[in-house]
Amino acid sequence: MAITCPVDLDRQRLREEIQLIYARVATDPSGEFHFHRGPEYAAAWLHYDPAALAALPDESTAPFAGVTNPLRMGPLGEGTSVVDIGCGAGMDLLLAARQVGRRGRAIGIDMTEEMAEIALRSARAAGLDNVEVRIGDALSLPLDDESVDAVISNGVLNLTPDKSVAYREVLRVLRPGGRFLYGDITVANELSESDRSNIDLWTG
Amino acid sequence: MQILTNIGFTGIEIHEKFDPFRGTSKERTAVKYGVQGVNVFARKPERAG
Repeated sequence: MAITCPVDLDRQRLREEIQLIYARVATDPSGEFHFHRGPEYAAAWLHYDPAALAALPDESTAPFAGVTNPLRMGPLGEGTSVVDIGCGAGMDLLLAARQVGRRGRAIGIDMTEEMAEIALRSARAAGLDNVEVRIGDALSLPLDDESVDAVISNGVLNLTPDKSVAYREVLRVLRPGGRFLYGDITVANELSESDRSNIDLWTG
Repeated sequence: MQILTNIGFTGIEIHEKFDPFRGTSKERTAVKYGVQGVNVFARKPERAG
């Protein structure tokens, strides 16, 4: 499976398209998109607990557009420091914050400002003061070396043009023995060159 | 998963698979390429010594 984007794919345009699409998801989650969104999808397709989702602010769950449920590989444990790469509006981030408790830390990272604002606002509305959100890029995480116990990510790293760089960043920020709970899409068949260069398919 | 091993992760396991594009406008493309959502667990090695 190819893990780097083809030479003729405009990486800056890819980044901009991703930001545009997910800014739109943040501000209009009920709009038309190529992918499912929201808490009903998360519960029915990805086995999230509906009661746990109902306890979160609607603006953190409505834009959810993940592709798996990485927290099913937990539990994270009390006192754990966890980072959510590509936290979006914060659904997984807030669920993680509840798991790690007041002695833990949950850091959300997203490159879309609209999403980051919603995630932080939702954390405060949910009374979760162990949450912080940083604007940042999966290819250059705004975190110190060996600074977190766990990393989660849900349907985000497939949007990066060079996944090996993203994976190395995860390894860098994890403490020795730290866990990577990673949810993403995989393909069974190599993409054609034309499909690999189609930004519309990259962004979902 | 070989990529994660090559970079230095250990204990790599596929835990669960999902079908996130079923019922979307991209379902045909997803079927064409065998697209699935996958939960993958990996660990950073403990420090040696």
